[in-house]
Amino acid sequence: MTKKLNIALVGNPNSGKTTVFNNLTGTHQYVGNWPGVTVEKKEGTCRYQDYQITVADLPGVYSLTAYSLDEIIARDFIVEEKPDVVVDIVDAGNLERNLYLTVQLLEMGARLIVALNMMDEAGGRGYRIDLEHLSYHLGTPVVPMVASRNRGTQELLGQIARIAESRVPPSGLRIDYGREVEEEIEKLEDLISQSALSRLYPARWLAVKLLEEDEEVTKKFKEGNVD
Amino acid sequence: MATKSLAQMRPKERGKITKVGGSGHTHRRILDMGVVPSTEVTVERVAPLGDPIEIKIKGYHLSLRKEEAVQIYVEMIER
Repeated sequence: MTKKLNIALVGNPNSGKTTVFNNLTGTHQYVGNWPGVTVEKKEGTCRYQDYQITVADLPGVYSLTAYSLDEIIARDFIVEEKPDVVVDIVDAGNLERNLYLTVQLLEMGARLIVALNMMDEAGGRGYRIDLEHLSYHLGTPVVPMVASRNRGTQELLGQIARIAESRVPPSGLRIDYGREVEEEIEKLEDLISQSALSRLYPARWLAVKLLEEDEEVTKKFKEGNVD
Repeated sequence: MATKSLAQMRPKERGKITKVGGSGHTHRRILDMGVVPSTEVTVERVAPLGDPIEIKIKGYHLSLRKEEAVQIYVEMIER
């Protein structure tokens, strides 16, 4: 029997997201617009073992702070559509900048796979990446790839199937923001957990966003989801 | 130690970011791209009239407008 899976590809601009997307979906793709906005929406399908996988290629973003339309689209898709697996395409030659987004995705409680792309270029620059160590600290699988030569695609699909099947909830990396901030987060979390919004989003994530004065999240609260 | 704005630095000079001023979307985007305090930067090239400025940060190259660079303060690192 065919099993359906929804996955989303997310990553920094120029991390090779679209190349991975093309490798996964081949010609089975279509381009539309996100509802209400004229930002390109690409979706495609692929088959792997008994899986029918729908792949969404999200806009390239450096962060999910909802300061631009691209970021709002990417963030809303992940928190509202709740894809079975989120694949974070990371430029292996630019780990430090790229992992910022990775951390944000983990804080949001996404079921994540890190696809370390452009491993060849990183190697050419003399970088040696300890994949096991990275995977251990992030609490996610890490798949090395060279998407431009279609390397790593099968391994990625294997991990997608494995993660989707595992009933283990995402590890949800927790960052310690220091005593002062943590106290405020705790207070807010208590209040938020009584609200309807906490059924849609992780309470801790909402608390952090409120402290950041995130416009979108603040608006959601003002729209009467809580008193 | 000598503190300058990024806009006052010359090519090949290195420094450690101490403060990123500004507000709004551009400010946020600059932070998101890794231009944050305690990060090391090297000025790669400066266009005529000092705008834009190309820096190297966290292993990649980034071009900044002068109006952004004047708000980024660095502590100079001796070569």
